[in-house]
Amino acid sequence: MSTLTKKQKKELIRIIISLAIFACLMIAEHAGLLPRTKSARPFIVIAYLVPYFLAGYDVLRKCLKGIANRQLFDESFLMTLATIGAFGCGELEEAVAVMLFYQVGEFFQSYAVGKSRGAITELMSIAPDFANRETEDGSIETIDPDDIEEGDILVIRPGEKIPADSTVIEGEGLINTSALTGESMPRSVSPGTQVISGCINGDNLLRVRADKSYDDSTVMQILELVENAASKKSKTESFITRFARYYTPAVVIGAVFLAFIPPLLSGDFAGTFGTWVLRACTFLVISCPCALVISVPLAFFGGIGAASRQGVLVKGSNYLEMMAAIDTLVSDKTGTLTEGKFRVSSVRTHGDFTEDEVLRFAAAAESGSSHPIASAITEACEEKIPQSEIRDEENFAGKGIRADVCGHSVFVGNRGLLKDHGIDVPEEGAAGTCCYVAVDGAYAGLIEVADMPKPEAKQAVSEILASGVRKIVMLTGDSEETAKITAGELGISEFRAELLPQDKVRIVEELLKDAGNGDDPKRKLAFIGDGINDAPVLSRADIGIAMGSLGSDAAIEAADVVIMDDNLLRIPAVIRTARKTIGISRMNIAFALCVKFACLVLGAMGIANMWAAVFADVGVAVICILNSMRMLTTGRQ
Amino acid sequence: MKKKFKLIDLDCANCAAKMEDAIKKIDGVTDASVSFMTQKMMIEADDAVFDRVLDEAEKCIARVEPDCKVVR
Repeated sequence: MSTLTKKQKKELIRIIISLAIFACLMIAEHAGLLPRTKSARPFIVIAYLVPYFLAGYDVLRKCLKGIANRQLFDESFLMTLATIGAFGCGELEEAVAVMLFYQVGEFFQSYAVGKSRGAITELMSIAPDFANRETEDGSIETIDPDDIEEGDILVIRPGEKIPADSTVIEGEGLINTSALTGESMPRSVSPGTQVISGCINGDNLLRVRADKSYDDSTVMQILELVENAASKKSKTESFITRFARYYTPAVVIGAVFLAFIPPLLSGDFAGTFGTWVLRACTFLVISCPCALVISVPLAFFGGIGAASRQGVLVKGSNYLEMMAAIDTLVSDKTGTLTEGKFRVSSVRTHGDFTEDEVLRFAAAAESGSSHPIASAITEACEEKIPQSEIRDEENFAGKGIRADVCGHSVFVGNRGLLKDHGIDVPEEGAAGTCCYVAVDGAYAGLIEVADMPKPEAKQAVSEILASGVRKIVMLTGDSEETAKITAGELGISEFRAELLPQDKVRIVEELLKDAGNGDDPKRKLAFIGDGINDAPVLSRADIGIAMGSLGSDAAIEAADVVIMDDNLLRIPAVIRTARKTIGISRMNIAFALCVKFACLVLGAMGIANMWAAVFADVGVAVICILNSMRMLTTGRQ
Repeated sequence: MKKKFKLIDLDCANCAAKMEDAIKKIDGVTDASVSFMTQKMMIEADDAVFDRVLDEAEKCIARVEPDCKVVR
């Protein structure tokens, strides 16, 4: 309970005292301890008024102010009217109970909402409070992060937050990026590494040069996104606010009719008026739409918070809502589904050569080259031949390379290169990019190089499909052949290959039609890309998802959903979070409406009394809030 | 110009929705939002009339919830 604010503590004490007095009075009355004579009645009324005023004086005050401001339909007014009505009808217990439990509910609401806010501001704790700037004479001054200028030298002590996006100039160590990426593995940094604001420094002192001012740094962008997310309302939220606007006046008018029409029709106005006024009062108690108006945005707020804990920034409640309704997921291949980097996928040997030998010879011959394929081969080779054994390197542009390795003449390159030099190469069907290797004029084997799918890609694809996405379409500029292999490996049934960048928008538009956009606006199309070359496609899709965007302004700008690291498993995770959010808010809407309407009908018939009405108002609100609060713990590690 | 303000003692979600409605109707406001969850108000209006808009917005807020204060 240490999280209670001063105001809340005062409220709580007030509620407990009035509850105690009320309980004493009720026990006394039911035990027959109170005199039932007519002359004692005014004293009993006054006795009941004590807890009533103690619990509800602020409601009454707000009501009076509301009347002065002509805000007739606010909840204080309705509660006051209902309780005064009950008092007027002589239902003392009910009147006090309604006020008391209304206050209990209000208290609970403010506690729960405060707690949720706390959970979100925890996220905001990525914002640094200060920065240590090194001045020209070498001393260190503590400054406000706002005062950081580009080029400033900053000193970050162990455990401190990096205040602005910067480059390390001195010091090595590990930094914790989990607050931004949800990734628990620390990242190692050394001079020259770019570090992102909001990360927490490990155990070593770092000296860095600020690349950006605080305002332009990642942390600020993220904070702004999260804050703005609440103002981009989902359809569910707008529906609720629209509904609330009509619901309250409608119920109040209903209450007025209920108080006057039946007594007038019955012919015995004076005799039945009291009963109907009391029933009208139950209407007033139910008329506040609070449960819905609080719990639905709370669920979305929690959902966005949960997504950010998973390292995914969702730019608005509306996008979270759409994430739950993805029908088609279009993905870029290179750099998104694959690593965007060549790696050796297989080595085939010929004659007496072993795989290891083929790789070693090829790596040695290629050691001087900076071609991406060459670096893939040198990286794959574990036991390298010393540089002193490699001589007479010769480059054949577009074909390959030749070198003397340990006295052997080695050719590495395409088929043409080997043929040109009179080396016989057997026909071998291979799909990816191949490097043929020959040693001393004899064909030794081939090394297949490919852009490998990310290790988690296959699992991510199956999880996405399992989460209810109808199909995944892969787009790539690569050859049909290569695309087919990658798609097959990942379990993606549909792909479009050999695309030029401008083709992507056209294809996304075609797929948008196919996804039922237009006829069925509920089925959405999402596009995943690296966010750098895909800006037009990202904005054309219903939801643009950018991957690996930590520190890339362009991507954060263009996308609707930003995945901070490049882990594909975040996508099914955020789809699940979105589904859960929608599920909870629908559950709340259905539950609250059912209870309220049931209570209205039963109240009109005189079956549900004021106690039931208090439950329909406060109880439902509390239950809905608790339900929404489940979102706050989602995705916590 | 788009500016954000903190709201103190914004206690009810329905009130936030009512405030938002009222502020949007002020002459000169291009966009506005009142977020109950973040306890913040965002107003977008022309620079020339911004001060007047803000004063009017404050009045709207006071009408809906008298205890709620805008931090300028």
